[in-house]
Amino acid sequence: MAHATPQGIKLLNGWKRPGRFDKGLGAQLPDAYKKFWREWKLTTPAAVHYIPKEQQWERDEVTHAIKPVQNIPLPLIDPPEAHQGIWGGEAVIKGFQKRHQTKRRVPHFWVPQLKRSVVHSQVLNEYMSVVVTERTLEQIHECHGFDHYLLKNLACDLRSALALKMKRQVLQALQQGCPNLADEPKLQKEVLKEYSQYLESYTPEEIDWYGHTYLEAIRKLQNKLREAERVQPHKVEFRSKLIDQLRQAGINEAGSATKLEKPATTDGEHKDSDIEALTKLESPSASSSWLSKINPFGKKET
Amino acid sequence: MLKSISQLQVHFNLLKSATSLQQQVRTTFILKRKYDPLLHKTNENPRRMRAKNFIYELVEDTQVKKRPNMEVVLKTFVEGVGDKGDVVSLKPNFVYNKLLLPGLAAYKTPENIEKYAKTEAEKSTVQHSSAYAQRTVNMLESIVLAVVMNKDQPWVIEPWHIKASLRKAGFHCKDECITLPNERIEGPDLKKEGKDFYCTITINKLEQAKLKCRLHHWSTDPSERLPYVLEHWKIPSEPLLGVNLPSEKNV
Repeated sequence: MAHATPQGIKLLNGWKRPGRFDKGLGAQLPDAYKKFWREWKLTTPAAVHYIPKEQQWERDEVTHAIKPVQNIPLPLIDPPEAHQGIWGGEAVIKGFQKRHQTKRRVPHFWVPQLKRSVVHSQVLNEYMSVVVTERTLEQIHECHGFDHYLLKNLACDLRSALALKMKRQVLQALQQGCPNLADEPKLQKEVLKEYSQYLESYTPEEIDWYGHTYLEAIRKLQNKLREAERVQPHKVEFRSKLIDQLRQAGINEAGSATKLEKPATTDGEHKDSDIEALTKLESPSASSSWLSKINPFGKKET
Repeated sequence: MLKSISQLQVHFNLLKSATSLQQQVRTTFILKRKYDPLLHKTNENPRRMRAKNFIYELVEDTQVKKRPNMEVVLKTFVEGVGDKGDVVSLKPNFVYNKLLLPGLAAYKTPENIEKYAKTEAEKSTVQHSSAYAQRTVNMLESIVLAVVMNKDQPWVIEPWHIKASLRKAGFHCKDECITLPNERIEGPDLKKEGKDFYCTITINKLEQAKLKCRLHHWSTDPSERLPYVLEHWKIPSEPLLGVNLPSEKNV
């Protein structure tokens, strides 16, 4: 029966709702982006707002009954502001407080304390003012630097779009050999030696697709597709053909052959100038004089 | 299939992050559920949670805890902190904002300690007697020292006069540290009232501070005393005539 359905043999494992990578443009996204997406969204991040229980089983204090431990993480909320700063894995928690035994529970939001600080990226050779939390700074100190913090941590732990974008920039800079440090070759060498170990776990394509949000990835893909199927208007094609024919016929005004050797980007402008020269040749020379511009029957200016 | 791949990925990634991060840091709210959700089947999604499973209790707010000091290696001499190659332990905010971001220090790692250690040549040329000497120099150069002399008895200014005046201003030093101008300053002379001269204070036999002193006359007899001048150090004044800076030879 399964072969009769549009899903085919896949239906044997049960019906699966098409996700964002199964339909539309999302299906065309490369595996490099899907890998990043899994790292960012489908990996369980390190426990920040709760202490996970290490043991496999626990005993109830009152009844002494043994039951398994199932660590269910607290649901976290990432407001848009979290993606404009680097919160170091922290997020907003929405829940309730039971403030008194006999009173109704009260809704409460636990929001991290934010502050604006400066972070320094050695690879990009830049100081950046960003909104951070104390935890971010502590993690930076623990990793011995902002670049190490970005490169060591997984996307799910970095959490914010800004940090991921910076990580991509750092990786790209490392790939190109730190162009921002070109003034100091000695330092550049040291930095490359220190950070090149992180490049091993990424292919160039993965770096290219790293750290984009879903919407950004779709835009990037659309731009790529548009680039691939760019249509040249027939007007341009036929015009260049005509000019070639004129050149072969040996007409001087069609331009000399040396112009042909120039790069293709500036070719269009030259063609336009060629055509102007041609039209000038056709029209009588008097037409360019100022007399021709005067219209004796036009409205008088008052 | 995809699910199993992602789980594999998760497992791999978790292992990787565990190796890179030595210790979990927490500076945030740490919560725990007041009522644990019911157990779910293994390898299945958790049950749908009830509202009471979202009642949280605060375990700890690490934001209000005192944070331990941080250790860094100094790259250069830093006034009030230490010399090049020193490993100093200070408050984390000060370390980050004043030392790490301006590039005066590096994180304490075995490579950095070795890299920024003082070489033999640097050790032999002593530039600073101590990390705190420059602070004393700055303090001495920022004040105008009131030198109060007798209005009735004759005197010549000697180092111990300056020493006593400095003690009144809260600085303690020895006579040898004070270098007076070459010219004798004699009194009592009311023409010299409120005039300035400079003397040099040598700290730890190395750093030198230029101290601005101002002469005042004072009498034991209250009726003879000059009128009190409020905050004389804010009033512009003239230098003493014929008294130069202490020359370098005498220092």
